[in-house]
Amino acid sequence: MIDVQNLTKSYVGKTAVDGLSFKVEPGEVVGFLGPNGAGKSTTMRILTGFLSPTSGTARVNGFDVFHQSIDARRSLGYMPENAPLYMDMRVKEYLQFRGALKGLGGSLLRKRVGEVMDACALTEVRRKIIANLSKGFRQRVALADALVGKPPLLILDEPTNGLDPNQIRHVRELLLAFKGRQTILLSTHILSQVEQTCDRVLLLHQGKLRADDTPQNLVRKLRAASDLHLEVSGGTGYEEHLAKVTGVRKITAERQEGNWSHFTLRIEARTDIREAIFDLALKNRWQIRELRRELPSLEDVFVELTHV
Amino acid sequence: MRTFFILLTRELRSFFYSPVAYVVIALVMIINGFSFRAAVAILERGPQQGSLVSWTFHSQWFWLSYFFIFPLLTMRLFAEERKLGTFETLFTAPVRTWQVVWSKYLASVVLYCLIWIPSLANFFIFESMTAGATEIPHGSLYGIYLLIFVMGLFNLAAGCFASALTSNQIVAAVLSFTISLMHYLLGVFVLYLGNRIPEKFVELVHYIATVEHIRVFTYGLLDSRPIAYYVSLAFFFIVGTHQVLEFRRWRV
Repeated sequence: MIDVQNLTKSYVGKTAVDGLSFKVEPGEVVGFLGPNGAGKSTTMRILTGFLSPTSGTARVNGFDVFHQSIDARRSLGYMPENAPLYMDMRVKEYLQFRGALKGLGGSLLRKRVGEVMDACALTEVRRKIIANLSKGFRQRVALADALVGKPPLLILDEPTNGLDPNQIRHVRELLLAFKGRQTILLSTHILSQVEQTCDRVLLLHQGKLRADDTPQNLVRKLRAASDLHLEVSGGTGYEEHLAKVTGVRKITAERQEGNWSHFTLRIEARTDIREAIFDLALKNRWQIRELRRELPSLEDVFVELTHV
Repeated sequence: MRTFFILLTRELRSFFYSPVAYVVIALVMIINGFSFRAAVAILERGPQQGSLVSWTFHSQWFWLSYFFIFPLLTMRLFAEERKLGTFETLFTAPVRTWQVVWSKYLASVVLYCLIWIPSLANFFIFESMTAGATEIPHGSLYGIYLLIFVMGLFNLAAGCFASALTSNQIVAAVLSFTISLMHYLLGVFVLYLGNRIPEKFVELVHYIATVEHIRVFTYGLLDSRPIAYYVSLAFFFIVGTHQVLEFRRWRV
């Protein structure tokens, strides 16, 4: 659906996107991550034909975004950052205008506008002037606009920026509902959202692609060690015993609650010693109240790969 | 073509969503009333050279309306889109740049024509009220309205260009006003220098002098040179606007 080859965009004295290559297959939901200024928005603007690349090519739905810009734009729905809208129009009128621009007409246009207003929960505000809507509603109007032409590809630049937790959840549910039927490229800073919605993550840093993998693989491949929380009772000298288990790097005694001792074990990356711990407890007749592994989050991946 | 009309309709609507259109129409009607009254007052004093039409469009009042219309009509066109960020949504929809440029320009031209139509009524009402006792030279009346139209084409195109350059409507308005005023002054400065400049040069300036064009057209003479001049200037600025908008897509 998207095929980017060696894409570079440089401004005077600054390279915003530097030799970027990636592919997005039909039906995939791909998260675009990276710190502010990493080149996410610039890449999206090139894909939507708003900017031209300095060198390299990008194809959307088989159309070159520069040379076949109109065809490429017809195959995508784009929601820019901060959801810009015409403030003087009413919601339904705006969506009809945008739908008509995208080539819909007559009864098909009316039907599609009705559908996207339903999908984005806009029907009750359809007669309101956009200037009077709250940020959450405006964001949804912009999303409905991206959807109205029924494009095979959606490009969303921070669709949940500035929304409250309820609205973020609503957008996430919307995206999950499209999953499998729609190709989506979305950029966001909310990493939990990426973990829940995206099949694949593209991590951008200083215009270069740092990682291209599933969120789970990224976390697994991460060099950082994971933590194990353990609460035991009914024994003594836990530390000595635990230190003998292979894979334990460091033991920290957290606190004592009555007979219960709480430990945090730092364990080697890509190892799981939970079974070994259980066997150890069984052998020494300890009781276990908690044995919990804490995997590194995507946030750790993000920090590790983009930390300067 | 369909896309073009969708864009044109939206532009025209948005003129009437804001108070701008109504304010400008009302203001121009009032000012035209003053210039018409001024012309009648001159003719009341006794036989004069020139007609009701020529005196109306030589009054100070006419220039007042002439200069403020263009910035007011055009400052919004592109500057507002840039400010709101809708510039991005607009140009990522399957529309071509020329469709956007011409639809915005044409919308301002349509509104400009609407603004001048009521002033035409002044003459016809006056004619019917005086039951033919006053002479309204129809040739010069149509001539001057044709000239106002082509002058509008140029000034509106310049305003479009100014608006495309900036995201600030005030800056766009000031730029547009400056272009209109500079063009006007270029035509009149020879009047103040008098006979200190060679005759050939004065003749040259007459080609671009708006005042001179108005004098010729209010006499009922249809001169094709000013028409060609204004229309080509309009084209020049529209092409300029197109280039300014396409600039972000240039590959350098």
